[in-house]
Amino acid sequence: MPTYKITYFNFRGRAELARLIFAAAGVPYEDLRIEMSRWPVEYKDQCPFGQLPLLEVDGKVLAQSKTIARYLAREFNLAGKDSREQALADMILDHYADIMNEMKVIWLESDAEKKATLVEKFKTETLSKHLGYLETILRQNGGGFIVGDSLTWADLMVVDSNDWLGVMFPNPYDNFPLLAGLVKRVREMPQVAEWIAKRPDTPR
Amino acid sequence: MPNYKLVYFPGRGRAEVSRLIFKAAGVPFEDVRINTANGEWPGETKAKCPFGQMPVLFVDDKVLAQSKAIGRYLAREFNLAGKTNWDQARADMILDQFEDIGTEIYKFMFEKDAAKKAELSEKFNSETLPRHLGYLENLLKENNGGTGFFVGDSLTWADLALANAYDHLGGTDAPFANSPLLAGLIKRIRATPSVAEWISTRPQTPF
Repeated sequence: MPTYKITYFNFRGRAELARLIFAAAGVPYEDLRIEMSRWPVEYKDQCPFGQLPLLEVDGKVLAQSKTIARYLAREFNLAGKDSREQALADMILDHYADIMNEMKVIWLESDAEKKATLVEKFKTETLSKHLGYLETILRQNGGGFIVGDSLTWADLMVVDSNDWLGVMFPNPYDNFPLLAGLVKRVREMPQVAEWIAKRPDTPR
Repeated sequence: MPNYKLVYFPGRGRAEVSRLIFKAAGVPFEDVRINTANGEWPGETKAKCPFGQMPVLFVDDKVLAQSKAIGRYLAREFNLAGKTNWDQARADMILDQFEDIGTEIYKFMFEKDAAKKAELSEKFNSETLPRHLGYLENLLKENNGGTGFFVGDSLTWADLALANAYDHLGGTDAPFANSPLLAGLIKRIRATPSVAEWISTRPQTPF
């Protein structure tokens, strides 16, 4: 078994999907969380694109959070059983990334009143449409897991999204019963539940 | 061999990497281009798209969405993804980087305020793009000196994504003036017979 290390800040942020994958797979790793004051001076040069998170596998580095998560999912047989399932999981990952990019624009709006309007508009129009597509995909797959018939990293994406969507939109899956059910079931899986209970409690 | 149909707008955009993968692999596909002008889009097509967007890929009757997921699926099917899980991850990492560059371009591409657009464009060309290309030049150099391919010792879709980025960045050598290894790789890939033929015969489009 190789030695794994994730380097990131003390947030869930862009590292949490990888951490959930390690937890679900039961694979140990070093969960290094660095203080903002030590970035960039101490770590940036190690990073292929000057950014965190970083994954080290026996000292070899990988950057880009989505790539890191996919690599780990594949290593631990959580990527999907065949090429199509892997593609479906990738598709869901990209969709969540699109949602996050749109939210980022709103997050960075400096005018408080304008931001509140954008948040409300996004919640009622855009977000419900985006999550609706995922509810449909889950329903068409029989409502159990979102890809295939066993746990994949796509289910962990849904769990993770419940947290990061929740920063701006509390209880994001309230109107999406299948997705809400999936979040609950996966969070209750022993290894996932153990990680959620013991992980550092951070605002995002 | 399944039947492949790629559906997108009449442009390179988010479909071109997949088209290049088909061409480099020598695999035939139906290159469907849907117009907004005459109502073809959204038309009946949008409802068939898992996220209401294009491109979508039909493999026989099964649909896939999201341009990068499509590209990765095709690259894997045609042995252009990377030979090991690690190599595949290194290629994915490079694709993610091109996506980040694209995101930076979109920031000013759709900016309506002319002055702000000029300011963002200037920042991109003088600071953001050179920084990103610098990282990619280093990555390429780490792979046996950078005179071959981005990953391993054979063509992957990461190389095709670079060759494609050349067009998105204006279709000239100028952005790569300080990245000789990237410039060399672009030249080699675009000169590969299957790629060169596609570039010269594909529809000429503004995006």
